[in-house]
Formats: sequence, structure tokens, C-alpha cells
Amino acid sequence: MNRHGRLLRLCFLCIPLAYLASQFAFPLISGVVMSFQAGGLSLANYRFVLHDRLFWQACANNLVVAGLSLGLEFALGLSFALLLGSMRGVSIVTEIAILLPFLIPEIVFLSVARYILLPRGYLNGALLAAGLGGVGWLDPGSRMALASVIVVDAWHVTPVVTLLLLGGLQTIPAELYEAARLDGAGALARLRYVTLPFLRPALFAALLLRGVDALRIFSTVLVLTGAEGTPVLSTYAYQLWSDALEPQIAMAASVMLALLITLLSLAVLVLRRRAGGAGEPSWDYLAA
Amino acid sequence: MSVEDRLLAFARRALSVLVVAASAVPLYLLIKQALTPELESFAWPPVWFPRSLTLTHLRAVIAGGELSVALILSAKVAVTAAVVATVLGTMLGYAMARDPRCRALGLSALSATRLLPMIAAAMPLATILIWLRLYDTISGLGLALVHGALALPAAAILLFGAFVKIPIELEQAAYLDGASPLAIFLRLTLPQVRSALAAAFVLSFLASWDEFGFALLLQPTNRTLPPLIYYYTVFGDVGAASALALVSAAPVLVALIALRPVLFHGLSGRSR
Repeated sequence: MNRHGRLLRLCFLCIPLAYLASQFAFPLISGVVMSFQAGGLSLANYRFVLHDRLFWQACANNLVVAGLSLGLEFALGLSFALLLGSMRGVSIVTEIAILLPFLIPEIVFLSVARYILLPRGYLNGALLAAGLGGVGWLDPGSRMALASVIVVDAWHVTPVVTLLLLGGLQTIPAELYEAARLDGAGALARLRYVTLPFLRPALFAALLLRGVDALRIFSTVLVLTGAEGTPVLSTYAYQLWSDALEPQIAMAASVMLALLITLLSLAVLVLRRRAGGAGEPSWDYLAA
Repeated sequence: MSVEDRLLAFARRALSVLVVAASAVPLYLLIKQALTPELESFAWPPVWFPRSLTLTHLRAVIAGGELSVALILSAKVAVTAAVVATVLGTMLGYAMARDPRCRALGLSALSATRLLPMIAAAMPLATILIWLRLYDTISGLGLALVHGALALPAAAILLFGAFVKIPIELEQAAYLDGASPLAIFLRLTLPQVRSALAAAFVLSFLASWDEFGFALLLQPTNRTLPPLIYYYTVFGDVGAASALALVSAAPVLVALIALRPVLFHGLSGRSR
């Protein structure tokens, strides 16, 4: 089709993209402008943030939470994907159970997680019943609170990782496993030499998607420990904005977060190129 | 079967039991809390099996007041967002399916959207919405418009997948017969992706229904369900929080379990 068709496609491309720009790009840019304002154009907001001990603590927490919860959910996600992918008759109960944390609304999941982990919550109740003492799972500022955030986050997102890796598993031809088996490869050898190499594109796609989500973690922290309990960059900025009423400084902090995310995802992309053989990237992750 | 294989089979069985427990227990606790009287919810040690049941909390959600206002607002916002996302997602998906240059541009724009931290867009957006008089309104229109943009990438990708499967030859034949490109799109192509349209609408609705961050920042007093659940959870009304959570989770569970084939197909290329 010719000119007319092209015009239609151009309109169909530009209207949604302009809409996205109006909702995200324009606010982001005006936020960047705001972050440089402090009674005139200045770097004062960034200076404040960089001299704030809480900011550096939030930075450290952010990286620790993202790193550890990514590790945990990839280990679990890979196990679940292998479990689902290789058992032909997975019961529908197992399948729904794997997906359930992902299916129920995030805030509902977090609400229940909070009730389980509270000092007088279900987990400590179970420990008491077993004759053990209670643990301060959510004590503000403690390492345990950080660990709780990591575990709850991993519990919540493992299904997404499972789905993405499952997509990768489907691309592996069954004949390869047959051949490996005939050559005397055991289950672990098949995992190491057949499954994992073929899974690499899906692993990178999942890493990129989940890495971004893990870095911008917000609601998990807010619901479980409150913004002060285990400050991460999002909650640090939120607190400056809503409690301290310092919108410009809050914007400076969130610009730093956006920079961090951009830099780290570029690093993943470079790493993927280095690793080579990744082939056409999968775009499935955009739908998750 | 070698020892290794048998060990693996056992590990799988154990894992699936663990998974079912990890999902079933929280859901059970939620339902239990929504149905037990407040006194029992605050008991120590916690009560695992309800001694008495009550519908008070659930009734309060429907009866009026803050809870039902939030329920209606959430529904209004989600429907508006779903309409926006589905219409714009259809346009973008079609452009991407029919033109490789549109595809490249569209995918980069959608990927960039995924990188954006919510907080960095939400705070300045609040300032803009205050200026437009759309901040924290009773109608929730400002929030609905952002939710539409948030749901747009997934809707566009889903519809892109549906449009790609329709042979372009059909459209070319209609064009030779003198139909305009817009008429071809509306009358010939669009009707063929009806199920994808429905799936995109439902997924966008749910994305808005579940969304917490923007809702918290843009509607601080006229709250939708997720922020209200957050406030009740943190400030201590266990029964109301759980009843509200149950009411907000129920439609999601029903819709997603019904949509499981589409979802599985869309997300992992698995069909059955």
C-alpha cells in the first residue's frame, strides 16, 4: 500500500507516542528542570542530597535490596520454570499457585505480608507455637527488615521471572535433550550444557526487566517498614516530597535514581552484547 | 531412571508442594481476616482458624462511606484508563505490525517507558495536574490518564502480536478495490482482532485497578482502592483492610484465571 496507507500508519504511530510523551517525558523533563531550581538556577538541591547521610544509606539499601532479591528470584524462577517446563502434566493447582502472588494486586499481597511479619503477626505466632521466641522481622533500620523486604519482593516477583524463563525454555528443541541423553549426559549435565546456553536471551531479558523493577522498589518498602524503616531512593524522595515538603530536593533525588537505573540497564545491554549469540532480543518482557 | 533423575523428580514434587503452600497460606489468611470480628484479628497468639464469622467488614465495604466511594472511583479510573490504553494501543500495535520503521521506533519508546522510575514522573506530574486542576479530583481523571499511559505498552505489544498474524495481502486486495486505508483498518482488520482487543482492555483495566504509586501521589485524599488498603493496613483496621483487599483481589483473580490461556500465550509463547 502506498501514500494513503503510510499517512494512516504515521498518525497511528505519532498519536500514542505523543500521548506517552505528554504523560511521562514532559513531567520527567519538567522534574529535571525543577531539580535545578533553588531560588534561581543552582546545584543546591543536589548538594543537599549528596551531603545527606540518609541519601547514601538509601542508595546502599537500594543496591543491596535489588541485588539480593534479583539473585533470589532468579534462583527460584529458574527452578520453577524447569519444574513447569519439563513436567508435561503440571496440575492446574500448581500452575495457578505459582502465578498467584503475581495475579493478586500488589498492595493486597503486601498487606498480607505485613500481617504475617508484624511483631504480633502470624510468623511469630507460628514460632511461638513451635516453642521459639519472636523475631523483629520489620524492626525499623535493622538488617532483618532489609532481609524481609528482599524476601517479600522475591516472593512477589518470582512468577514474572518464571514466565519469562518459561518462554525461553519453549525455544529449546526436544531433540537436543534426546541427543544429550543418548550421549550419556545426566540431568545436571543437560542443564549445564543444553538448557542454560539456550536460555541466555531470556535470562538477559528477564534481568533487564526485573533489574529495573528491583531498583525502583517503592511500595514493598512503604507497606512493610514505612519510608524511614528501610529507606531506598524512591521512598527517600517520596518522604522529601510529601512529609518534608521539599519538592525540588525530592526531584534531585529521583533524578539520581533515574540516572542509576539508566546506567545499570545500559551496563546489562553492553554485557549482553559482550556475551554475544543472544540473537534477536525478546520483547515479551514489555508485556509483563 | 538413574539416581540423578529420581532425585530430580523428588525435588520437583517437593518444590510444587512448597509453592502451593506459599501461595495458599496468604490467601487463606486474607479471607480469614476479612471474615473474623476485630477482637479476634488482634488476638495474641494469632488465631489460625476463626472461632466466629462475621460479614460486618464486607458489608461496610458495600454499605457506603469511604470504602464504597473508593471502590466506585477505582472502577471509574480503571475503565477510563482501559479505554485510553486499548484505543492508543490498537493504533500503535497496527502501525508497528505494518511498518518496520514504526516497529523500531515504537519498541524503543515502549522500552524507554519501562525504564522510568515511577517517582520521577509522579512528583512533577502532580505539579502539572495541580496547574491543570486535575490533581486529586473526585472524578480521578488526571490519574486515569496516567494509568492509560502506563497500560499502553502492554496493550500495544499484545495487539501488535495479533495484527502481525493477519496477512497483509487481504488489505492490499481491498485497497485495489478502492477502499481507503482507514476503512480497511476499521472494517476489515479490526474485527479480526476482537479477542486481543478484549484481552488488552481487561489487562489495562487490571493494571489501573492494581496501581499504587501514582494513585498514592496524585489522589492523596480522593483515594482509589490500593492507597486506601495501604492506609487501613498501616494504621490498623485489620478487618476493613482485609475485606477491602479481598474485594479488590476477587475480580482480578477471576479475570486472570479466565484469561490464563491468552496470558500464557502472550507472555511465554506457550499455547495449549
